[in-house]
Amino acid sequence: MLLREVEYARPARVQEALRLLGANDGARALAGGQTLINVMKARAASPDVLVDLADIAELRGIELGSDGTLELGAMTTYTDIIDSAEARARPILGEVCNQIADVQVRNRGTIGGNVCSNDPTNHLPPLLVAIGATMTIVGQAGERSVPADEFFLGVYMTAAGPGELLTKISVPPGKSDGFASVPIGKDGTCIVNVAASLTNRTARLAIGCVDAVPVLLTPDSTEDAAVRKAVHDANLDPPWDVHASAEYRRHLAEVLALRAVAQAAERR
Amino acid sequence: MDPVSRKTITVDVNGERYERELDARRLLIHFIRDDLDLTGSHIGCDTGNCGACSVLVDGTLVKSCMMLAVQADGAKIETVEGLAADGELNGLQQAFSDHHALQCGYCTPGMLMSATALLRENKSPSEDEIRKGIQGNICRCTGYVNIVEAIRAAAQ
Amino acid sequence: MTETTVTPERPLVVESGELKPGFIGQNVPRKEDKRLVQGEGVFFDDVKRHEMGYVQFVRSPYAHARIKSVDVSKALELDGVYGTLTGDEVAILTDPFFELSTPPGANIKDYALAVGRVRHVGDPVAAVVARTRELARDAAELVEVEYDPLPHVLDGEESLKDEVVLHEEAGSNTVWSGVFDWGDFDAALADADHVVRIERLHFDRFSSTPLECSGCLVEFNRGTGQWTIHGNHQMPGVGAIWMAPALRVGIDKLRFVSQDIGGGFGNKITLHPQYTACCLLARKLNRPVQWTEWRTDQHTANTHGNERTFLDVTVPVKADGTMLGFSVRAIDDCGAFPRYEPLGCIIWAQVTPGCYRWRNVRVDFTQVCTNKSPVAPNRGYSRMQHLWLTERIVDIVASELGMDPIEVRKKNYVKHEEFPYETPNGCIYDSGDYARCLDIALDLIGYDSLEEKRRDAESRGKLFGIGIGSTLDSGTNNFGQSMILNPELQFSGNNEVATVKLDIFGEVVVTLGTVPQGQGHETTASQVVAEILGCTPDDVNVRAGHDTYWNSTAGFSGTYASQFAVTGLGAVKGAADKLAGEMKQLAAAVFGASPDDIELVESLARIKGNPEAALPFMALGAILNANNAGLPPELDITLNVRHVYRPAFEKPDLERKFGNLTLTYATQIHACAVEIDPETGVYEIVDYAAVDDCGNRIHPQIVEGQVHGATAQALGAATHEIFTYDEEGNLLTPNFYDYHVPHALDMPPMKTGFIESESPFTPLGAKGMGEGGGAGIHAVCAALQNAVGRRGEGPIVWRSCNPYEGVWELLQKPDETRKLVSVESR
Repeated sequence: MLLREVEYARPARVQEALRLLGANDGARALAGGQTLINVMKARAASPDVLVDLADIAELRGIELGSDGTLELGAMTTYTDIIDSAEARARPILGEVCNQIADVQVRNRGTIGGNVCSNDPTNHLPPLLVAIGATMTIVGQAGERSVPADEFFLGVYMTAAGPGELLTKISVPPGKSDGFASVPIGKDGTCIVNVAASLTNRTARLAIGCVDAVPVLLTPDSTEDAAVRKAVHDANLDPPWDVHASAEYRRHLAEVLALRAVAQAAERR
Repeated sequence: MDPVSRKTITVDVNGERYERELDARRLLIHFIRDDLDLTGSHIGCDTGNCGACSVLVDGTLVKSCMMLAVQADGAKIETVEGLAADGELNGLQQAFSDHHALQCGYCTPGMLMSATALLRENKSPSEDEIRKGIQGNICRCTGYVNIVEAIRAAAQ
Repeated sequence: MTETTVTPERPLVVESGELKPGFIGQNVPRKEDKRLVQGEGVFFDDVKRHEMGYVQFVRSPYAHARIKSVDVSKALELDGVYGTLTGDEVAILTDPFFELSTPPGANIKDYALAVGRVRHVGDPVAAVVARTRELARDAAELVEVEYDPLPHVLDGEESLKDEVVLHEEAGSNTVWSGVFDWGDFDAALADADHVVRIERLHFDRFSSTPLECSGCLVEFNRGTGQWTIHGNHQMPGVGAIWMAPALRVGIDKLRFVSQDIGGGFGNKITLHPQYTACCLLARKLNRPVQWTEWRTDQHTANTHGNERTFLDVTVPVKADGTMLGFSVRAIDDCGAFPRYEPLGCIIWAQVTPGCYRWRNVRVDFTQVCTNKSPVAPNRGYSRMQHLWLTERIVDIVASELGMDPIEVRKKNYVKHEEFPYETPNGCIYDSGDYARCLDIALDLIGYDSLEEKRRDAESRGKLFGIGIGSTLDSGTNNFGQSMILNPELQFSGNNEVATVKLDIFGEVVVTLGTVPQGQGHETTASQVVAEILGCTPDDVNVRAGHDTYWNSTAGFSGTYASQFAVTGLGAVKGAADKLAGEMKQLAAAVFGASPDDIELVESLARIKGNPEAALPFMALGAILNANNAGLPPELDITLNVRHVYRPAFEKPDLERKFGNLTLTYATQIHACAVEIDPETGVYEIVDYAAVDDCGNRIHPQIVEGQVHGATAQALGAATHEIFTYDEEGNLLTPNFYDYHVPHALDMPPMKTGFIESESPFTPLGAKGMGEGGGAGIHAVCAALQNAVGRRGEGPIVWRSCNPYEGVWELLQKPDETRKLVSVESR
């Protein structure tokens, strides 16, 4: 509950944030803090410097482009997405955000913080992988784009490296999406989650909680047999913990994959 | 602006202005409880799960244990102490009492703040909406039955 | 005079609905609420003192290790650190806490901090005090402890082998063991038509986890040598019995003060080690010290509920479903230190046959230590585990013999006309009507349309099950039962205190010996006093909380073991009756009348039938306290009355382990319907009914609130709440993130019903009812059993906590649990 000593800065511009992050190896960006502050309370991580992104206006906001692409600022909160008329262009986003934790966390937690912390039980990493989102990262060297399925590198590790910032997430148009999960109780820690997204020709599935990063699968069709085969062929080797054995997670991955695909298919 | 480990902040809590110098590491809840001596907001966990510390920051419901006090610099904060006017319970507080929505009363301040936020957004929430509105607030005494009743009654 | 609004009694569904005259039995507004809804309660962590220091404990990362050295020098160098305390100092400054057990448990040495050895992860090794909370934690990280890890034991059955012994001085992990043998079990076995055997059942480790963790602020008065502990100990009388001898001081040197407590549920009964450490620190550092336990501390190192394994359960059954009793070998795992134990080794015997007419019971009971967090009483203490056993027995027997679990219950329940009913071990069930409660529960849950609901669920691919949990909440202990465990103990009977006085300006002031944690004692005490004194509850000022120095405590004061409505209100009633008598004497003296001619009504003492001859309370208070010249010298009154309520108990027969162990038995019959998704094991409680019979209800709304809360805790324990350890002895559910307690969305729709079977043994006909016997756990297990296996087929629900994966496993591998059960039919 009690943090180690830390220094704090609240820049108003991305460039200033980058400078602060670059100036100290022990600096970390603070987004909504709904993961990071908790980790610091446990003293499981103790950054030397927190660079609070709250005042950086350019990191906020939701824009719907003329081609149907949604641009989500990294500091957009879950509640912003749930309440946003623009974000309804891709309904699954608000639906899944509404399943994250609770009101208080949704009010402060941000889409950027969620993906950058890449806790394997988070909902957004598999969702963004399935729906083919693109992440924009800026650093001293400039800006680059990374597809979501290349963004997640390991537990708490992403393509946004030291001294870099995730600034926005771009989501292509689409509506044939599904999401299925088994949490503990109605809204507790997630045991397995699966996101599915279908286009006319392709099916993309991303399974969370079974590996350090979401596992992307592209079954040949949306038929049950094809989905099952894709899950089998992935040779999942999920972690076990107090909430679930590896065997149970492997089993749920298959069941939930079918359910996510079925939901997505209903929305064609 | 360079990083600092101590900072002077100014906040407005329940209409009262406070200025304090504090460590950057101090959580908002400890600032409220220990530095401002507003002990109505409570602490029931150390992982941001229980909601006993819920307050409104610039009108938004947050858990004050998942926020540094320095992050609230310049903010308008509402806590349970601000609900009653001149010692007169507001409708929600009265409904909690009428419906026996509290036993030990430890979760109650946070629960009231969550319900306050809910009712500002939604004047007549359904039972499911009420439960969703307080899903981040743990009560170990009541099984939530009478809390849901009280919020429903207050909405009417 | 202020007005009290009496809200009409809410229709709680059933039976005996007539309003009673007076305040007892009415839902008067709770006195506690006004401050609590404004954030104006005072909990221990709200109490501050000038220049106080914050305490942080340094805790063991090992399940079992020798402490080679503790070096606090770096911590002391940190600016803002006031001082430290180590186990070595504790061993010099204090004596070990008194143990309740006979040997081997009696020989265990338990101190405020680990001395020489740590015995569970989280065991406190040292304490640091600093200017701020954060600094105290910083400093604790600088304390250097060298450990020499030892082999550990985490399982009760393993522990029995004594291959790893936790307490060398005890020489064994066994704390206490004994055989209880009542009736003639062998004859019952010979007489049976079927013998059902269950190889193993397991009641999992969990706790009620009050939202407010433990803690205290301790001040030491150097001049008087007296400590004031502003804390949340829920049984300070017993806390002082542990602490004072350990600190080598008289018991009056320890003053316990609490106003509001954020839930207790038994988990705040064994705070004496931490409080003792804080007392030593306050004295050593000559400043107030404040200890706040964090959630992770509470889960890892405060208290858990007892974990119990039941082996070789044998049940003789007649062809018609009549059960003749049972035998079992029980192994209770109390964690690293017994503390309140081994009382759990006898407390279950309050409800030996559960709700049933079983006459032949043999229980071989052993309690052992393991390298896990110590246990303490936890709502439903020890009876809950045992009642879970009796309920599993009924359901498994019914299922194996192809009988209806409802009918089997009704056949075996103690019958209404048999009360008061003496159990095979001499307990007297005071009153009740279990079959009627069951009928009400079934009605509430729509049992008539059960098959329709089952078909509907099955049409959606779900498995459907319905289950019953029938339990007794035995209240008001006869502490003489402790002598069955240890004849040397000098505890028996029970008592509680209240004072009621009429103050100088006519204010009625009540102090209680109890330590309320949300049960509404201020309110219900005011109802009883108002009814007796002829005023309103608003006229009665019940002091909030507890203070040892109010002189309103006795040896067993506290709030625990479902007894306030009996002991607490018994004391209040006794004191109010005495005060009423004195007020009448005084009025009679003033009017020159006889006390028999005086009545107390409308906050007046007046001559019956003569409204003109009336003295307001204020006049009475003023006359005696400040204007007493001329009063007759023989008028021997104080208007300040202390009453000790003492239930009529006998010492039990220690040879036969026989006697009345509790005064009252409240009934809880719960019915529950579940739907399981067989593909995932995920299940949902789709309907729930709780029927309670606690005799006369003083405040129906408060009673119903207790039913709700006990049910929620039971549902949590049945579904997700479990303290699981890894192989190294680390707790894997140390917080509310991993330990999932019910959230608002998790709770099923809940219906409640009641009947009132007045207790013939208590001052108000009421019974304690707050703990609730864990009926929800039993009902959920029964419903899951009903859904996954019936009529001798399918898996056996053998654990008390069944998370989704557990249910999925039952369905995947039915034979693994099926083989736990066998039936021998003759």
